[in-house]
Amino acid sequence: MGGIYWLASYPKSGNTWFRTFLQNLMSVADTPTDINKLNTGSIASSRNWIDDVIGFDTSDLRQDEIESLRPHVYRWMCRGDGVAYHKIHDAYTHTGEGRPLVDDIATLGALYIIRNPLDVAPSYAGHRNCSIDDAIGSMGDPRHALARSQKALPDQLLQFVGTWSQHVISWVDAERLNVKVIRYEDMHATPDRTFGSAADFLGLDTDTERRRRAIDFSSFDIVAGQEARSGFRERPPQAERFFRKGVAGDWRESLTDAQVTRIIADHGIVMSRFGYLDAAMQPV
Amino acid sequence: MPRFCKAYGLTIESDIALPELLAAAHEGGPADITISRGPVRVPAVGQVKQISPFIWVGEDAFWLHVPGVARFSVVGASKITIDPEPGVDEASIRVFLLGSVLGAVLFQRGFLLLHGNAVEVDGGCVICIGPSGVGKSTLAAGFLQRGYRMLADDVVPIDADCAAVPGFPRLKIWQDAAEKMAINTTAQTRVRPDMNKFNLMTRDNFSDARLPVRWIYILSSENRDGFEVQPIHGMHRFAPLRENTYRRRLMEGMALQPEHLKRCGELASKVRLTRLVRPKTGFDIDGLVDTILADIRTAG
Repeated sequence: MGGIYWLASYPKSGNTWFRTFLQNLMSVADTPTDINKLNTGSIASSRNWIDDVIGFDTSDLRQDEIESLRPHVYRWMCRGDGVAYHKIHDAYTHTGEGRPLVDDIATLGALYIIRNPLDVAPSYAGHRNCSIDDAIGSMGDPRHALARSQKALPDQLLQFVGTWSQHVISWVDAERLNVKVIRYEDMHATPDRTFGSAADFLGLDTDTERRRRAIDFSSFDIVAGQEARSGFRERPPQAERFFRKGVAGDWRESLTDAQVTRIIADHGIVMSRFGYLDAAMQPV
Repeated sequence: MPRFCKAYGLTIESDIALPELLAAAHEGGPADITISRGPVRVPAVGQVKQISPFIWVGEDAFWLHVPGVARFSVVGASKITIDPEPGVDEASIRVFLLGSVLGAVLFQRGFLLLHGNAVEVDGGCVICIGPSGVGKSTLAAGFLQRGYRMLADDVVPIDADCAAVPGFPRLKIWQDAAEKMAINTTAQTRVRPDMNKFNLMTRDNFSDARLPVRWIYILSSENRDGFEVQPIHGMHRFAPLRENTYRRRLMEGMALQPEHLKRCGELASKVRLTRLVRPKTGFDIDGLVDTILADIRTAG
């Protein structure tokens, strides 16, 4: 049966890294995929994709109307037998009619990529060209959304994100959702096992050698090198570069004690649950 | 009370007021298009083909449902029926009527439809095409501020002689763009209530004759400084026209593809086609208009 696997994450949590792996895994080429030709499926909030399917302009619709239409679009897209992979930064929410935004019939499952919020904060600050404190503020803002402009036309639809903790919980505890969680940190520490189990979950029956090659082809050095040479079309204009450091634990160099304390105060419960804090609620 | 008006060279007799269109005198005989209110029901599966969650097509018919707004039907490229949902305002109905619904009529009437804006330059027509949000309407407003006249906004029909057909004198513009261009929106009506998008009426700058299409610019935005102008040659000229067809899925669903491909090919052979990249940030509208005009002057 066809349907959609969602590649879900809070921004700056390794989603593009995973998509690069996925593209390399599905490619038969013996050279790394060009990051400017990532073709793993439109982001769920792509305006052009939704407009194309519905046949009228979302730019003429109110936010509540757009939200109501989106599940219809995803269901329409999976009428056939094909399996598609779509990135999504929206939190897992329901429309005004009580229907999951990511339509339940269309959805085969969700791979949720989680990253230590202590590392998300400086990365998100670089992405939005704001201070780390502002990024921490957004990560704790229950109304946080992407592409919120009401006065102009962003190329993406508004995505409700909520706080970092809300975002995680919305996906991983969603009722009747087939969900698998992988940690950004494990993508670094145990790539074979982490990427491999994700590929299994997504139904990508590929041999170990091919998976290992895809992991190598999507390494930070390769993608950051490609960005340095030819740029990356998904880089937000205000960000200096998209692929910043690609490491886990960088927060120890970039955050002040007060910032660490604030993030733990905001997200301690969820951080503990996913192994980012020890029993004494201290970072591990 | 029926009102007579015109758009895309067609006379329209409408039950609902269409203030965006130019009025037309009633010269007797039936209008090309009639618009009336009435019940709209999509025939059962089997008689029609569903081509989107909200669109169905039959042999010479088309149905569109915009949830919360209205159901529309178009029969024989001439008879439009609107079935409004309870409590909806007329401006909201008109947005979709003058967009996708008239678009379906124009497809049924055999036009090639480009997703873009058309402006008169030196007795010919320049069309800017590209995805939603890339700045096509803002660019058209930039041309209007320089005293150029527009033929069409958003949907540009091309006839069999590769001429652009004038639509109606209205440009939809977002508040941000209006502010940047010092256009006062307080006197303009909103496209829909509660939306910061306005109907800029352009009656004084409207070109109402068909004009040969001479230049087409494919507008995109990238992370870069300055503009990039790149003429497209040979076989590469075909795909961008096809990709920037207005509501391509609709056209394909109406089984108009063979004729459409032929027309894209003819148009590609007759116009100068250029890729135009603007920086993602700091939209310099004046600079973009200058770049296009300079390119036109150089290329002739």
